[in-house]
Amino acid sequence: MPISIVVPQLGESVAEGTVARWLKAQGDRVRKEEPLVEIQTDKINVEIPSPAEGTLSRILVAEGITVLVGTEIAQLLAPGEVAGATPGASVGASSAAPTSSAVSRPAPEPVAATQAAAAPAPAYASLVAPQGPSHGNGGTSLAEARNLSPAVRRIMREQGVGADELSVIRGSGIAGRVTRDDLLGYLAQRGARPAVAGTSAPGAPVPVPMPGPTPGPMPPASRAGYLAPQVAPAAGGPREEVIPFTKVRKLIAENMVRAKHTAAHTHCFDEADMSAIVALKREWSPKLEAQGVKLTYMPFFIKASVLALREFPWVNGEVKGETMVVKRYYNIGMAVGRDDKGLIVPNLKDCDRKNLVQLAAEVNDLATRARNDRLKPDDIMGGTFSITNAGVYGAINSSPVINVPEVAILGVHRIVERAVVRDGQIVARPMMNASIGFDHRVVDGELAVKFLRRVCELLERPELLWFYA
Amino acid sequence: MTTLSVAHLGPTAYRDGLALQESLVRARAEGGAGDWLLYPDHPPVLTVGRSGSPGSLRSDPETLRRLGIEVFEVARGGDFTWHGPGQLVGYVICDLSKRGRDLRRFLRDLEGCLISALGEWGLAGEAVPGRTGVWVGGEKIASLGVAVRRWVSYHGFALNVAPDLGFFDLIHPCGLRGIQMTSLASKLGPAAPTLAEAREVVARNLAERLGHPAWRWETADEARRQAGVATTDMREPVRAALNHR
Repeated sequence: MPISIVVPQLGESVAEGTVARWLKAQGDRVRKEEPLVEIQTDKINVEIPSPAEGTLSRILVAEGITVLVGTEIAQLLAPGEVAGATPGASVGASSAAPTSSAVSRPAPEPVAATQAAAAPAPAYASLVAPQGPSHGNGGTSLAEARNLSPAVRRIMREQGVGADELSVIRGSGIAGRVTRDDLLGYLAQRGARPAVAGTSAPGAPVPVPMPGPTPGPMPPASRAGYLAPQVAPAAGGPREEVIPFTKVRKLIAENMVRAKHTAAHTHCFDEADMSAIVALKREWSPKLEAQGVKLTYMPFFIKASVLALREFPWVNGEVKGETMVVKRYYNIGMAVGRDDKGLIVPNLKDCDRKNLVQLAAEVNDLATRARNDRLKPDDIMGGTFSITNAGVYGAINSSPVINVPEVAILGVHRIVERAVVRDGQIVARPMMNASIGFDHRVVDGELAVKFLRRVCELLERPELLWFYA
Repeated sequence: MTTLSVAHLGPTAYRDGLALQESLVRARAEGGAGDWLLYPDHPPVLTVGRSGSPGSLRSDPETLRRLGIEVFEVARGGDFTWHGPGQLVGYVICDLSKRGRDLRRFLRDLEGCLISALGEWGLAGEAVPGRTGVWVGGEKIASLGVAVRRWVSYHGFALNVAPDLGFFDLIHPCGLRGIQMTSLASKLGPAAPTLAEAREVVARNLAERLGHPAWRWETADEARRQAGVATTDMREPVRAALNHR
């Protein structure tokens, strides 16, 4: 029994496809999954793989012919099967026509009616998993709500659409699922009404996002993080919300308290003329970006810190009981803000052995992985010194908290054009404040100031790298 | 749905871009890679898709040779088009099995992403039924052409940021006669975004439109690595940047 090759379902609103090119000739042996034919619809060209191993025994539709989805376009014989055993009750004009005919551009009408009926051919299932709006009326159950796209869930969260409200939205997606456009359309209508879905489920008000200590099955809409705006309280609703700490928030809280309780936090400040680094970055960003590496200021800060740490090793250490552990490796942590997900400080390993471009690539990688929850345990362990850049959010100065058990942290900030005096003249220079938070138990003020000055100096005069590196 | 990885490939011969896409499509189909948006910088090139007709080419081979323009026939939908400097070409490697295998919706999503990007620059882009692409005031600003293999898409879109529109006179773009091409630069003048800005905005809109919760910049090396193509070490970018001058 030959296997029918049919034009598979190509999308909900796609009724027909054009045979663009046969990749195999009649009589060719084909392996399973090997591309047989290209079908084109609109501006998309789709390769149709062979559903099984065998021989392409008959090509029924020539290139350039447009046929309805579900139309049989070829037959495949399993290995060992004899050709022509079953004539294959061919239907319609095109299947009678061999490859050579019908070169002229297609008039799809004649093929239409008869073959549309043949759509759910048995072989079809083997090509493409059946789908489409078979469940018709588009009701979305709560169970299906879990399959909503992130975009839909986000809009639900932002607009305060409860899961119960979903059921009144007519879904046009797969299996009647509510799509982004459905939801936006619904919201456009709902906007006219002030109340939130009062009509749809009078017995069930909008769920108040106050999950108790027992983590019941929260609707996906309210599973937001710590700071994300929750369902907007309806008029007369609660004016406060109780949101339990996430696991990350608990850890941050514990670490901060431990840091402030153990280390004798002290801060001092300096400033750096960033002209040279700004120029370097301006020149090299596009060049490196063209090579796929995004260059930020962070690699420069890391580089300068590592060189200064080598000169002042005491700053690159850890307090253990009544001992000071000085480290001869340089794993530099960088604080990554993650909006509602909470701060995290992954570190870059062995920064003294990496060039600026490597650092740039790794900074990007580490930051994106931090934001996407893709950090490995190793990424946040074993740091020796940290840098925090409050400047990315606009700060021009800060007194950062030490990432204990480290003994110091460098704060870098927004680079601002400021009037400074050079050779008796007032000139505009890109200036940056730098700060250091240090544990005064082990790092004396003199050491901290000298270290910070050296970092600033290395930023101001990159040529010093020749002498220090 | 996972993160959309985005890489700027930098200067890329058309042939190399195609090879990388095909490797990445294979890796995507076999689960070795995620969804990708690749931005190649192609030298001027003409490509013709599966619905190309010889009549769409308005210039003779001699002219093309003189201009150093190669012509490629590719397994994507659509007719003739031009790619080259000043144009934002985006290859979209996306597993459509995870998106209901709905080709038309995918095309509409690509159009939608470009339209919302144009909106951010204050331009009202529109899709014209039956004429896939993105139009601004009756002029075409972006072309689309997609191929699908093992339900993974490749090729994608070409948004005219600031190309020399004269190149389009070599062809009847997309096989359409009397069509006027335009660009962000012609519409916005000095306010037009740079290619780097356009990359960022389009990537963000694409991730949103395709329902990715996040997107991130990756290096071209990472794209090659996931595609199973040999990568270079990190000194290579520096060397290439130096040679670039």
